[in-house]
Amino acid sequence: MNGTRPYWSPYVAGVALGVTLLATYLLMGFGLGASGAFAQVAARLEGAVAPGRAQANPYLVGYLEAGRLWAQWIVVEMVGVLIGAVLGAWTAGRFAWRLEKGPRIGVGRRLAFAFVGGATVGFASRVAQGCTSGVALSGGAVLAPGAWAFLGCSWPAGSSPRGS
Amino acid sequence: MSWPLGLEGTGGLVVGLLAGVAFGFVLERGGLGDPKKLTGLFYLEDFTMLKVMFAAIAVTAAGIGALSLLGVLDLSHIAVQPTYLWPQAVGGLVLGVGFALGGC
Repeated sequence: MNGTRPYWSPYVAGVALGVTLLATYLLMGFGLGASGAFAQVAARLEGAVAPGRAQANPYLVGYLEAGRLWAQWIVVEMVGVLIGAVLGAWTAGRFAWRLEKGPRIGVGRRLAFAFVGGATVGFASRVAQGCTSGVALSGGAVLAPGAWAFLGCSWPAGSSPRGS
Repeated sequence: MSWPLGLEGTGGLVVGLLAGVAFGFVLERGGLGDPKKLTGLFYLEDFTMLKVMFAAIAVTAAGIGALSLLGVLDLSHIAVQPTYLWPQAVGGLVLGVGFALGGC
């Protein structure tokens, strides 16, 4: 595409992300997250579709009793992430409606893999109490031991599927 | 003024929205909107994810450490993720597999 800005140096992006994360810690007392927003939405979906089941689940009740969805910090933050990502792509001349996929995989298979991969990541983020953002990034920056165990395990595990 | 501010209510949500916008903007501009750059790390082909993440961790950790040493920041009011070693190790393993499956 003509007029597309190149990506920033990863170190520039990393420093900018670090400043954002530091500012969040200073203003809020906690860091950035992502998967928690999906859990907030999922708990309310189950609460709407199967209220009895949701109320009987102590894990989901915690979310249901947190109050309105739009008053949850992580939900508002994730809406911001979507806006920021679109802004970044748009102002760089990169915004387009397309499916990112490798050359050898079909659209159906790509979407199926994305769905299974997404569900796997979602499940894993509940087991670990967070994902790449909330545990690895934010936890890593405050030297939480569990964050480093999470980081150390996710990298080799991600490398294994290609071998099979 | 004592840091962290620990904002609540509308002020906290406004900060959340702005922090999210900055988070999304920086990730996109850094190239992490591209799934190939995410999974490239697993195949040792593209280290963007590693560079962005560890530069960010270094800046934040150094900033928090320095501000705490200067007496500006009260570390006891900074939320540190509780340690559940096995769940977090297993969660990391499963998440890595999920990333590789979903990001191809």
